[in-house]
Amino acid sequence: MSQNANNDNIRTGDKKNSSSATTKRSEINNNSDSTVIKVKSVIPRRRQDILKWYGWGYKDSMFQLDGDVAYFTGNRYLIAGKSLPHLQNWAYENFKVDLKKPPKIPEMPTSFPETRLPADIRQELEGIASVSVDGMDRLIRAHGQTLKDISDLRGNKFPRIPDAVIWPESHEQVEQIVKCASKHGFVIIPFGGGTSVSGAVTCPPKEQRPIVVLDTSDMNSILWLDKEQLLARVQAGIIGQDLEREMRARGFTVGHEPDSYEFSTLGGWVATRASGMKKNTYGNIEDLIVQTKVVTARGVLEKSCRVPRISCGPEFEHIVMGSEGCLGVVTEVTLKIRPLPPVVQYGSLVFPDWDSGVQFEREVARQRLQPSSIRLMDNEQFRFGQALKTESSWGGVFLDGLKRIYITRIKGFDPTKLCVVTLLMEGTAEDVAEREKKLNSIAAQFGGIPAGAENGERGYTLTFVIAYLRDVAMEYGIVAESFETSVPWDRTAALCSRVKRRIRDECAARGIQHYLISCRLTQTYDAGCCIYFYFAHNSEKFIDPVATYEEIEEAARDEIIASGGSISHHHGVGKLRKKWYTDTVSEPGRQLLLAAKRALDPDNIFALRNMALDEYDGDQEDIGIKSKL
Amino acid sequence: MKMSEVVEFRDILLARKMESGIFQFMTRAWHPLRTFNMDKYYSPQELKGMVLDSVYLDSFIEAETARNGGCKVKLKKEVMNYLEEMCLDKKMHVIRWMGIAFLKISFMMKIGIFVNEPAVLKLRSSMKTNPILFLPTHRSYADFCLMTYLCYHYDIDLPAVAAGMDFYSMAVVGKAMRETGAFYIRRTLAGDHLYAATLKQYVRTLVSKYPSPIEFFLEGTRSRSNKSLPPKYGMLSMSLVPLFAREVSDITIVPVNLSYDRLMEHGLFAYEHVGVPKPKESTGGLLKSLYSLNDHYGNIYINIGTPLSVKSYLNNIPNTNEMLKPVDLQQLTPEQFKQVQSVANRVIILQQKCTVATISNLLALVLMSSLIENRLLSLDEVLSQVEWMITVLRTLGATVFENDVRGNVNRILVVHSKMVKLDKERRLRLLSGTLMDVSRDVQKKMKGHILKAETMATAIPIIQLQLYVNPILHYLVPPAIVLLIVLRRPITKDELSSDYHQIRKLLRHEFFHIEETEEKTLAESIDYCIQNNIIASVDGQLVPGSDERLQFLLKWSIWPALTTLSLAADITTEQVNCGHKQALKLVQERAERSGCHPYCLSLESIGNCLQGLVLGRALIKQKDTADTIYQLSPEVMEKCQHLINTVQPKFKVAFDVSNSVILDNTHVLCRL
Ligand SMILES: Cc1cc2nc3c(=O)[nH]c(=O)nc-3n(C[C@H](O)[C@H](O)[C@H](O)COP(=O)(O)OP(=O)(O)OC[C@H]3O[C@@H](n4cnc5c(N)ncnc54)[C@H](O)[C@@H]3O)c2cc1C
Repeated sequence: MSQNANNDNIRTGDKKNSSSATTKRSEINNNSDSTVIKVKSVIPRRRQDILKWYGWGYKDSMFQLDGDVAYFTGNRYLIAGKSLPHLQNWAYENFKVDLKKPPKIPEMPTSFPETRLPADIRQELEGIASVSVDGMDRLIRAHGQTLKDISDLRGNKFPRIPDAVIWPESHEQVEQIVKCASKHGFVIIPFGGGTSVSGAVTCPPKEQRPIVVLDTSDMNSILWLDKEQLLARVQAGIIGQDLEREMRARGFTVGHEPDSYEFSTLGGWVATRASGMKKNTYGNIEDLIVQTKVVTARGVLEKSCRVPRISCGPEFEHIVMGSEGCLGVVTEVTLKIRPLPPVVQYGSLVFPDWDSGVQFEREVARQRLQPSSIRLMDNEQFRFGQALKTESSWGGVFLDGLKRIYITRIKGFDPTKLCVVTLLMEGTAEDVAEREKKLNSIAAQFGGIPAGAENGERGYTLTFVIAYLRDVAMEYGIVAESFETSVPWDRTAALCSRVKRRIRDECAARGIQHYLISCRLTQTYDAGCCIYFYFAHNSEKFIDPVATYEEIEEAARDEIIASGGSISHHHGVGKLRKKWYTDTVSEPGRQLLLAAKRALDPDNIFALRNMALDEYDGDQEDIGIKSKL
Repeated sequence: MKMSEVVEFRDILLARKMESGIFQFMTRAWHPLRTFNMDKYYSPQELKGMVLDSVYLDSFIEAETARNGGCKVKLKKEVMNYLEEMCLDKKMHVIRWMGIAFLKISFMMKIGIFVNEPAVLKLRSSMKTNPILFLPTHRSYADFCLMTYLCYHYDIDLPAVAAGMDFYSMAVVGKAMRETGAFYIRRTLAGDHLYAATLKQYVRTLVSKYPSPIEFFLEGTRSRSNKSLPPKYGMLSMSLVPLFAREVSDITIVPVNLSYDRLMEHGLFAYEHVGVPKPKESTGGLLKSLYSLNDHYGNIYINIGTPLSVKSYLNNIPNTNEMLKPVDLQQLTPEQFKQVQSVANRVIILQQKCTVATISNLLALVLMSSLIENRLLSLDEVLSQVEWMITVLRTLGATVFENDVRGNVNRILVVHSKMVKLDKERRLRLLSGTLMDVSRDVQKKMKGHILKAETMATAIPIIQLQLYVNPILHYLVPPAIVLLIVLRRPITKDELSSDYHQIRKLLRHEFFHIEETEEKTLAESIDYCIQNNIIASVDGQLVPGSDERLQFLLKWSIWPALTTLSLAADITTEQVNCGHKQALKLVQERAERSGCHPYCLSLESIGNCLQGLVLGRALIKQKDTADTIYQLSPEVMEKCQHLINTVQPKFKVAFDVSNSVILDNTHVLCRL
């Protein structure tokens, strides 16, 4: 009778779990009684609508050097819309660029290779999630952000681009896509923000099978947020700025801020073992993660419990971390979150030279007094920073007025040698004040003097616009790239000078006169630090500037490794650094990687061919052997 | 089926009448037993705070505002309001005053509360380890008063009782009930997700953090037919979450059966069956009904069933991915929900198993039998028939607490003096109702076909009588079906089995049972029938046996239900596509026209049969915006009809005042 029937409604939400996995749009988002926070991303599915298809970042944001004075367009960054009166001069002095020539902006391509994805498979995929075979959609997901990627992109020279793009919204859909790939034998490339700088995400040129890019950007919900446990379960496709914005709006922060965090994704961070600027307070990605869920060709890999630590043989999450898309798709991650600090304060210190700066950093690390971020810039970078001065508002810039006199005359610092440390401190007002005092006193031991908060802040706000420089450089015939390494403290100083020296030698050997080599120390640990090198040169006279650049970078990496540095601190191996992989991990190490590949992806569905997987062709070898017998 | 053990029931009101006065008992120092020990105990206010600040509701609000905008503070305020409406409280002085009122009224109603004391004591001694759910049958509003009083009597912490909003809005009573442990839930949660979320969190918090028994009615509403309703799963799902979330080590379910000699509501229920709507509960109405309480209501039997450890019943609760979530956010997986359903179904059966057959039930069986035979019984015949009925029921495994048949029959004749009566020749008669002129207003509200005054005059008392037959039917129906199939023609066990299952399925909603145990029930029923000469086994064939008296009992016991089923099948076949409301009316109309057993007029029963036909795939249910539409599936329906018609007992009985057992009382004219 009717009285009984209405009571059935008390069964709240029990039905939703049973929703069939084949429903196209995941129900997660529509479920009005779920705790899922669907995040509205800054980046739309048609990335090209808002992002520059031929370079870095937002379409509306770029350096412009032509015209009377250089400036930065748009309104997204602090320096945007302001003129940069020193930049043109600096560019001329360092690279002898001819700013009268118009910038070389590429035309958007109109024809693309035919998709190789058969219609029936495409239909099957469309039954799971949205699919596109549009040429632009495929092209802009064929690459990451290496110099070569961008050069190929601008010249429309990719030997191979993906055949389709698919946008799953949930873990379940990813499972179905991977099953579909196993069944039909096509290749899946997990694609996050495409900010990879190792060639990891770049389409493998020789792949004969259809390639489907699995774009994770629609998997960007916060599945749950536990303010008590300080944990959040987040879908892996969320981009850094969305994640951080959502957390901050609720009084929390993840605190993971790689310089690419406006565009790179949680899944990408896991897959590359990313490192953020504020790792001293919040940790690198491996410290932030409590749990990851991965769809492999052999099923779902995930620990059965959510615990802070476990002793249970080798930690397989560390096989997923840094797997560079070759073992499966990270779909969900449980992350630590922290309450927002009450006080954020910047600071800066000036040191007479690089060595004393490094010694200071080492001492701070020894005492484990690192604030959220502490970076040391060499003199070239310091001077470049001066070149990016805007006219307005930056009254306290280095070497202005009295301060300049104080530093150079009274303290006797050589302006062509001095280095700068920038600090980012977080915590309660007392914590921050106390920390600053301690850091100043250590600095004094190494001849360093405080140079004010504004200089520090300026350094950090420039962080996100630096990446735009490469595009403008290319437009004027300069190739520019950065590369990084990690090194023990005792070898740091030598490594820096040897690498710089090696690059100068390589340039001389090739007749390159106008170039810039610079470095900075960006992270410190108990046992060493991370060094970033920036190298740019005028490539006007080279037929293949990228190849020249790559030769030089390779030489530099050889030098790094010979000096006791590593293959990479956080960018990863990808295709670019595979040469040094086996030596780094040893032959048994390489075998372990292959074994993991065989175990999780025997048919090489995830055929990105990163690290030592370039020769891996699945179990075909075995079949070959069997047929011979 | 084994003979039931003899259980000792004790009247817990007896002592109040003699030793200590009401007041003294209700003001004694009271140190109740908790259901489990905790390091820290939370007050009802603190519990409210915990729910308000729970990670679940916080996440829910976060997600809700992200979805639809809106202000978090406002939503939190809304949750707070919901909690204010929902939350239980505990005020000792109110408990004591309510207890006094309860006892006063009980004496006014002259009731006895018979409790299976050994079971309560055993339960008490096993408490202290984990949460306990009291799941009583729901036949009357008196149910929760009785349970609360029982707990007070046996020094068990008063249960947190899920109560409907009807009571919330009642002046004084609503508040007093809250202060004695009631928490209020809305019946329809559809549409209001925030409310549903709040309730969910509140219930699971109560179960895991509030060491009193949690009590609710699995059937969801009072069963108007006085027999088990299929369970509702909502409250139980919410209550068992702490077990699946591993917050507690186990949850004990205590099935409870409350059997009444006289249901306060039986008149109302009888009217509801034929479609006269129930009035809304109000304090005024309650007070009015208080006058009618000054009467004899007989005994109430509270039988505490064997506690069920959910953990051991489910045997194994595997870990799921839900464990990776914060504990507050853990939900039931679809598999776990199935487990909850299985627990719920099981508990209904356990409730049935602790049915106590009261003298009312026995007398109703005897009188209904006499009505269908159209044969008047003298008091002595009645007594011997009651004795016989007791043996029959005990053989079927029922609990019959009866040691003084003559005394109790006399007693119950007083209790039911408005329904039955010994005439001048001291023969047992059923009193007809008066001829009532149903007003236009009431007619408009009526849900079914408008019945004639003459029909109502006898139908209402017969339906009322049937309400006391109903609780016993789950013992009788399975052997009855076996018998009816065998009566058709000699048959092997295997052949019988498929027809048996089909009929059971068609009547699944009318006679609740669990599918999984049906094989066993069938085997036991066949054994029972053979052992008692209802049927016989000859050369591997089952044939009718010789005990015609038992056969008669079984045949008429299922007769009304089969008739309703057959009518429902006929009507929906004729209509081809038929709306639910229309079907109810048409079946009622035809039942009236063809002079069927008045219970065939029951809208509830008709509805159950329609659902049965859907279950048997003879009808296909389509949800229209306003109504359910039944679409005929002709071939299946034909088979069903054939089956029903061939087993249907053929009785010719007059259910009007011409029946010799009915005492015509129709001369007074009343208005309804
Ligand atoms: C300007 C700039 C600054 C940078 N700064 C930093 C920095 O400070 N710190 C740092 O660590 N890195 C930095 N990087 C490198 C890069 O941003 C990181 O490697 C980042 O983690 C890549 O994330 P993504 O989402 O863009 O991944 P993508 O570039 O899309 O992919 C990178 C690799 O991860 C795989 N992958 C992506 N998502 C998934 C997934 N869900 N499951 C499995 N595999 C997946 C891809 O297949 C690919 O192999 C910088 C890059 C640029 C261009």
